[in-house]
Amino acid sequence: MAEINVLNTQNQAIINEESLPASLGLNTQLFVFQLVNFIIVAIILWFLILKPLTKKLEERKKMIDESIDNAKEIETNLALGEKEYQDKLKEAKGEANKVIEKAHSEGKQLGEDMKNKAKTDVEAIVTQAKKSIQTEKVQMMEEIRQESATLIVSVLEKILNEKMDGKIDKKIIEDSLKELKK
Amino acid sequence: MSGEIHIPTLAPETIFHIGNLAVTNTVINVWIAIIIFLILGISIKRSVKLKPGKLQNACEFFLELILGYFDQVTGDHKKTIRFLPIVGAIFFFILLSNWLGLLPGTGSIHIGENMLLRPANTDLNLTLVMALISVIGSHLYAFATIGIFTHLGKFVQIKNVFKSFKKGPMAVLTAIIEFGVGLLEIISEIAKVISLSLRLFGNIFAGEVLISVISALVVAIVPAPFMLLELLVGVIQAAVFSMLTLVYLTVATSVPHGEEESHQN
Repeated sequence: MAEINVLNTQNQAIINEESLPASLGLNTQLFVFQLVNFIIVAIILWFLILKPLTKKLEERKKMIDESIDNAKEIETNLALGEKEYQDKLKEAKGEANKVIEKAHSEGKQLGEDMKNKAKTDVEAIVTQAKKSIQTEKVQMMEEIRQESATLIVSVLEKILNEKMDGKIDKKIIEDSLKELKK
Repeated sequence: MSGEIHIPTLAPETIFHIGNLAVTNTVINVWIAIIIFLILGISIKRSVKLKPGKLQNACEFFLELILGYFDQVTGDHKKTIRFLPIVGAIFFFILLSNWLGLLPGTGSIHIGENMLLRPANTDLNLTLVMALISVIGSHLYAFATIGIFTHLGKFVQIKNVFKSFKKGPMAVLTAIIEFGVGLLEIISEIAKVISLSLRLFGNIFAGEVLISVISALVVAIVPAPFMLLELLVGVIQAAVFSMLTLVYLTVATSVPHGEEESHQN
């Protein structure tokens, strides 16, 4: 069996003899001593630990808040820039389409004009050619007529080998011409 | 097998004297806490940066954790930071003192009949100091925040008694009751000091007695769960004391309802 001696008899004696505060260990000197100790602890804790840490926490919070605000601003600016870019792109596309359409219509018009001009030119050339041909034809006919008359006269002279009077000559020539015209 | 159970006395034991000043075993524990805080404080103060190191990170983690709870009580982060010098000091000091009491050597190393080390909060002088600082501090904060006369008006509501004479007998009766309630509030302030100091002292002293008895009965293994329990008690008591202090500070610095209405009018 364990023999246990409880060493608390001194306490009981103190409680019985002294006042309650004294029995609880309250005394002015120790109270002031502990007050000074706690004030030292509070000063150390506040100035060396809590204040620097809370200050840094606040600084970091401020920095993070500012960074978030900046990021939001950048994001907004980016979105605005993107929108502006899209608008400009859309505008440029519209303008490009207009230019293309205009070029198409102008090209078409130019083609039409050139076609018409070519047609007119061709017609003019044809008319000119016809005129030239006609003139050349008339000229040629005249030349042929003269050549033929000369040729006939010379042929007849050679064939008949004789001199005929003027009436016979003339009649023969006219007949020959009539034959030629046919 | 025979053994002795050294149950700690209610009063802390004097270990030595510096002149006329008696140095008790609880004071030695407070000094150890001061040295630990001083070393930690100097290292933090020297190395504190925006990009924290390991030590700063760990300290910031615990600080942010308790600041979150404190914010829930005050409802305003600015108020929490304002009260932090008192509440933070109380919380961390009680926590470290309680946990220091669980270290090997506390309660087991003896000089003669006396223990060399004893948990600091088993000294009623210290818990009373903290309770007084908590309650007196709340009144000082109240004076600075809502004004001396507004705050004193919460306890001595004599103004309402004079005003009530114009309003009739019911108003006079109400004013007299309010005056009595105000006087009761003064008693409640004393009760706050007593309850705060005795609660912490009682819990930690009881824990110390329990560990002493268990350790005397069974040397190893069995005291471990009780020590773990004391670890928890240490945190809980630190939280309770600091939260109550915070509540006292928050209530004391809030404008009374009547004054609030008169301010609005």
